[in-house]
Amino acid sequence: MSNTIASEYGHTDTSVPIEHRFNPYSDNGGTILGIAGEDFAVLAGDTRHTSGYSINSRFQPKIMDLGDDLVMSANGFSADGDALIRSFQQQLTWYHFNNQNKKLRPSSAARLIQHLLYGHRFFPYYVHTIIAGLDEEGKGAIYSFDPVGSYEREQCRAGGAAASLIMPFLDNQVNFKNQYDPATGQARLKTYLKLDEVLNLVRDAFTSATERHIEVGDCLQIKIITKEGVREEFYPLKRD
Amino acid sequence: MNGVSVDINHLKKGEVNLGTSIMAVTFKDGVILGADSRTTTGAYIANRVTDKLTQVYDKIWCCRSGSAADTQAITDIVRSYLTYQVGSDNFERPASVNVAASIFQELCYNNKDNLTAGIICAGYDEEKQQGEVYSIPIGGSIHKQDFAIAGSGSGFIYGYCNENFRKNMTRDETVNFIRKSLGQAIKWDGSSGGVIRMIVLTKAGIERLIFYPEETYLVPKEFEIPQAA
Amino acid sequence: MVAQPVQKVFPLTLKITNLPSSNSSRPWRIPVRIDCYLSHIKMAGLSFDNFQRNQYIASKGVAMPKATSTGTTIVGCKFNGGVVIAADTRATAGPIVADKNCEKLHKLSPKIWCAGAGTAADTEMVTQLIGSNLELHSLYTNREPRVIASLTLLKQHLFKYQGHIGAYLIVAGVDPTGAHLFSIHAHGSTDVGPYQTLGSGSLAAMSVMETQWKENMTKEECIKLCADAIEAGIWNDLGSGSNVDVCVMEVGKDAQLLRNYITPNIREQKAKSYKFKKGTTAILRESIYNLVDVEETEIPVPMEVDA
Repeated sequence: MSNTIASEYGHTDTSVPIEHRFNPYSDNGGTILGIAGEDFAVLAGDTRHTSGYSINSRFQPKIMDLGDDLVMSANGFSADGDALIRSFQQQLTWYHFNNQNKKLRPSSAARLIQHLLYGHRFFPYYVHTIIAGLDEEGKGAIYSFDPVGSYEREQCRAGGAAASLIMPFLDNQVNFKNQYDPATGQARLKTYLKLDEVLNLVRDAFTSATERHIEVGDCLQIKIITKEGVREEFYPLKRD
Repeated sequence: MNGVSVDINHLKKGEVNLGTSIMAVTFKDGVILGADSRTTTGAYIANRVTDKLTQVYDKIWCCRSGSAADTQAITDIVRSYLTYQVGSDNFERPASVNVAASIFQELCYNNKDNLTAGIICAGYDEEKQQGEVYSIPIGGSIHKQDFAIAGSGSGFIYGYCNENFRKNMTRDETVNFIRKSLGQAIKWDGSSGGVIRMIVLTKAGIERLIFYPEETYLVPKEFEIPQAA
Repeated sequence: MVAQPVQKVFPLTLKITNLPSSNSSRPWRIPVRIDCYLSHIKMAGLSFDNFQRNQYIASKGVAMPKATSTGTTIVGCKFNGGVVIAADTRATAGPIVADKNCEKLHKLSPKIWCAGAGTAADTEMVTQLIGSNLELHSLYTNREPRVIASLTLLKQHLFKYQGHIGAYLIVAGVDPTGAHLFSIHAHGSTDVGPYQTLGSGSLAAMSVMETQWKENMTKEECIKLCADAIEAGIWNDLGSGSNVDVCVMEVGKDAQLLRNYITPNIREQKAKSYKFKKGTTAILRESIYNLVDVEETEIPVPMEVDA
C-alpha cells in the first residue's frame, strides 16, 4: 500500500523513502494431523486455502498419495509445500528406476525428506511436514519434520495453523496423558486405538479446530493407509 | 520536524483520506464551489457519494481536502464559532467570508503539526455584493484568489483552468467551466471520482447542483448526443 | 498544566484471619500499598502511567499484549420509516476465535443503537461513555436524545484521541426528527448515506449492498438485505463468523433487538463422547482449611395453629 497521502500538492506528492524488501513467504493456513495405529495410519487435513482474512479456495486437498503406500502433506506456505512434495516425487521416480521399482520404506522416505529440507537450510521451505505409512512390520508409522529437516517418528502429530489447539487433545486422547486409572490410581496404560476410534478423534479434532481457528474449515480430507492400500474420505466442515 | 519543512506525509495508519479534486470560482453574480465525491481508505472507496462542500455560515461554504477527520473537525469548529460568536446576533453585522477564512487559517496554522487539511473557503459577501475565494493549503497560509483549485486531482488541471478562466463569467459559463475542469481532474486522478457536486452562492440564494458520470460530465465530445432543437 | 496527583501514603496490610498458624511458612499477610491507586482515582480520563514502562519493555523485545480486535462485519440500512443495523457475532484475537457469540450491537439510548468494529474494548467503552452522556443530556434538556447528538459526541471524543481509540462505528436510530444512519471512523470522520458497511467484512457486505439495495424498501426487505450482507461477511471474511444480530428502529415504535436473528453455524454433534470416568484425574495432594467455624444450633419450630 502506498505511504503517500494525496494532498493539495497532488502533483508534487513525495513519499518518505522506505526500504522495501520482498517477502518471499506467505502463510496459507490450514491444519494437518497424523495418527498411527497398530496396523494402519491416517493423515488428515482441512481443504481451506487462505491468505490474510480471505479464502483462496474452499477445496484444495493437501494430503498427497505418493505411491508405495505412503502419504505426505507439507502445511504452511503452500507453494513451498507443493514444491517439496514434487521434488520428493521426482526423487522417488529416480529411486524406482534405479532399484527395479523397489518399494520405498517410510523410514527411508523420512531420511530423504530430511535431506530435501536441509538442502534449503538458509532459505527454508516454510512448511510443517508429516508423512504416514506402514513400517516393515506392518505397524502404522508417522514421521513429522520441522522446516529445516529435523524429524522424529511419532504416534501422532498435528501440524499447521491449529496444531497448538489439537496437539494437547491428542496427547490426552491418543497417549492418555494426564489420565489415571480410577481403579489402580496409576497412569492409564497405553493401548492401540482401533481405526474407527481414531477416525472419530480426527473428526472431532477438526470440527473443534474449525470452531476456534479462523483459518481452518470448509472440508476435511482423510487418507487411511492399511495393508489393503490407501483409502480416502471427505467430510464437510463449517464454512464461516 | 523542524518547523520549516512540514511533514505532510504522516497520515496516520488507516486514516480516511479525501484524495480529492476541489475548486471554487468567482463569477459575475457570486461564487460557485465544486468537488468530486470520493473518499478512500488505501485502495478502497469508503464513500462514493461524499459531500465535501460544507456550510459554515449562511452563504459561506468550504471545500475540504486531506484528512476527512481533520477537515470535519475544523469545519465544525469554524461553524460553531461563526454561528455562536462573531456571526451571532450579538454582533453588529453578519460574518464575512474574510473573517471565516481567517478563522480557518488561524486553526490550520496553529495546529499545522497535527493537521492534514487543505481547505478552500468561499462565499458570497452580502456587504460587498460579490463572491470571494480564499485558498488555505496545508501549513496554514491564506491566499485570496479569483478562483482556486486544490486536492490531489488539481495537479492535472492547472493548465486547463489557467487557459479557460475568465473574470465575470455568467452562471452557466462558470458551471460549465467547473464541470469540465473537475471532469478532467476525476478522469486523470485515481483518488478522485464519483459525482460532481456544486454549490452556487449568489445574492438570490443558495443552489445545489449535481452531475453524474457518463451522463453529464464524462462523455467525450465525439460521443455526445446532439440535443434536439 | 498537568494536574499533580495528590501524594498520600497509606501503608496498609491486609490480614487474612482464621487461617491455621501451622502454615506459618506462607506469607498470609499481604502488604498492599494503596497510595499509587489513590492518586489515579483523583485524575480524570485514561491513565497513561504504564506508557513509559511499556515502551521500555517493548524496546527490550518483549511483545505487547494484543487487544481483542473484532474482525467484523457490521452494516446499517435505512427503510421507509426506520433504520436497521446488523452485525456478526465472532470476536477474534489474531487467528483464534475469542468469542463465538459476542454482542456487537450496543445501546446508546433506547432508540439509538450502534454497531462496533475495531478494538472490542474501545467500541464497548466509548459506547458506554457516550451513552451515559447522552442520557444526562436528555435529562437536562428534557428531550429524547437525537442521533446527530450522539454522532457529534462520538466523533469529538474519537478525534480528541487521534485514532488511538480504535472504534469504528455504525450509528443508527430514530428521534423526533426521523430515522438516521451514520458511520464513524476511529480518527473521528463521519459519513452519511442510505446504507453503510464497516469492518474487515465490509467489502463482502458492501458488494451485497451495492447490488441488492433499492430505494423505498419495506422493513422486512431491509432486514433481509442487512442479514444477507452480514452473511456475505460470515462466509467470505475469516474475521467474521457465527450468527447474525439485528436491531430494528422504527419511527414511533420501540427499538427491537433481534439477538441471533440467523444462526447458520450451529455445531454438529461430536463423533465421540468425552466424559471421563470419575477418578481419571489423579489427586496428587489434599489439604483442607477451616476458614469459618460452623456451629449447628437447633431451633424449635413453632407448632402449626389452626385458625
